[in-house]
Amino acid sequence: MQVVSLRSDAHAESEPLSGRKPASAMIEIDHVSQRFQTSGKQSHLALSDINLTIEDGAFVSILGPSGCGKSTLLYIVGGFVQPTDGVAKVKGKAITGPGPDRGPVFQEFALFPWKNVLGNVMYGMRQQGMKKAEAETRGRKLLEMVGLKGYENFYPKELSGGMKQRVAIARTLAYDPAVLLMDEPFGALDAHTRTRLQNDLLDIWDTQRKTVLFVTHSVEEAVYLSDKVIVMSRSPGSIKEIVDIDLPRPRKRADLLLDARFQKYIVDIEKMIDDGKDHL
Amino acid sequence: MTVRGVLKTLSPLFACIGLLCVWQIASLRLDTESFPTALESIKAIPSILGDKGSLLNILDSIRRMAIGLVLAVMFAIPLGLLMGRIKAVAAFFNPLMMIIYPVPKAALMPIIMLWMGVGDVSKILVIFLGVSLPIIYHAFQGSKAVEEKMLWSGAAMGMSAPMRMLRIVLPAALPEILTGCRTGLVLALITMITSEMIARQSGAGNILFNSLDMAQYDTVFAMILIIGAMGIIFDAAFEKLRLSLVRWSQPRDDMPLSFT
Ligand SMILES: Nc1ncnc2c1ncn2[C@@H]1O[C@H](COP(=O)(O)OP(=O)(O)O)[C@@H](O)[C@H]1O
Ligand SMILES: [Mg+2]
Repeated sequence: MQVVSLRSDAHAESEPLSGRKPASAMIEIDHVSQRFQTSGKQSHLALSDINLTIEDGAFVSILGPSGCGKSTLLYIVGGFVQPTDGVAKVKGKAITGPGPDRGPVFQEFALFPWKNVLGNVMYGMRQQGMKKAEAETRGRKLLEMVGLKGYENFYPKELSGGMKQRVAIARTLAYDPAVLLMDEPFGALDAHTRTRLQNDLLDIWDTQRKTVLFVTHSVEEAVYLSDKVIVMSRSPGSIKEIVDIDLPRPRKRADLLLDARFQKYIVDIEKMIDDGKDHL
Repeated sequence: MTVRGVLKTLSPLFACIGLLCVWQIASLRLDTESFPTALESIKAIPSILGDKGSLLNILDSIRRMAIGLVLAVMFAIPLGLLMGRIKAVAAFFNPLMMIIYPVPKAALMPIIMLWMGVGDVSKILVIFLGVSLPIIYHAFQGSKAVEEKMLWSGAAMGMSAPMRMLRIVLPAALPEILTGCRTGLVLALITMITSEMIARQSGAGNILFNSLDMAQYDTVFAMILIIGAMGIIFDAAFEKLRLSLVRWSQPRDDMPLSFT
């Protein structure tokens, strides 16, 4: 397939496939700042005047040095942290707290250790009042999708890191959030598991087309997965650059690794991040 | 089970037998009236348990202990969990606990008796006080240690704060809470006996001291054996319950960890 569109909106290519209506804003971040009280009367500006719009169905990654406020930004969208300034909106409505329209996936997995794998996946659906039988059917289907068929009765303690993160992803997908908020979800995993999970995530995203906000430390991961990469800088945390990743989908890792455009994106973005370090 | 496994499970039994042997020999050697032999004491057990009055007294003790324990659990777990999650609650109760903690609860018994008489209420209250603190402490620690991201995950599923308390903080803190309850159970037994020694009216502690007054030393030692056995049985039964409730927090050891 050589029909490579040169439009900057990589996302548009998928439109004929899914027949979606023109992209509309899913998340709007409007002059958001976050100040944390540190010891004594001091305070630390973790985020400074962030403005960002994320379109419905887009896969957007956030990159930047640690401490630049990536997690904080994600938590604000999740409603777990209230910004000290500005507003964050989802589907045009100001975010006042967490809600099932935004599903988090954390690096620490945060599974419920007293529930087995199936119980974890069913948890959110049961909270939303879904009937047990229905939740179980859907739960089993999701577990199959993330490659955990046969592990339904295992407890989180009995799983490897990669398996735990699969459960966490299934648990979040289970209540069908419009937005996935992923904070370095593969950061604690070995390279092999990480690649597998990246591919699985892309497959899931291809079929479900959720809006994904994905924090990572890996430039390669960001370029591989995303429509858009947001590069942040530190002190104060702010958006340095937004790079549209204009690579065809569905993406195949083996092809991309040989693709000069893929390599150039990585080199360019790494340079941007390094530039930031010079100012320290 | 391997020979080693059998030995391991039987080791408490060996310890018991060893202790009884030492007792038997020591008492034969010393040969004083106030130190009956182990065999004499064991022989006195059936006559205590066979006596309807004594048996009712002991059951009465257990009843008070159970009531005190259940009340303490019902009070201490919610309080400890709230202290662990809400700073203001912790700020209010922590200093109070620091003051109450080192006071031997049995020392409060005379005052409580003065106000509430020598009946059940005083004894149950003392048991309640003795048991509550360790359970509050452990529930507090367990609740404080609950991973915030776990609560966030719950919030994203649409769970309200009280719901998260009940359905996330409580189960997540359960291993720690049950550790507190185990300490509480043993403390309940101790406080129960102590309260009956002070408010001499009924109960196992009363039988013990009455027989001491009447110089029935074999009964005294038999009662000590009975109370000790009660402690061991309660503790073992609770441990069994505890393990069945928190199996999820122990890894399954016969499980291969390989993946795909
Ligand atoms: N709850 C908090 N209280 C105080 N400071 C915080 C808090 N959360 C984050 N910070 C600070 O805000 C900055 C950004 O943190 P974070 O969003 O975790 O960065 P990143 O995820 O990019 O590594 C850091 O300097 C961090 O120390
Ligand atoms: Mg972070």
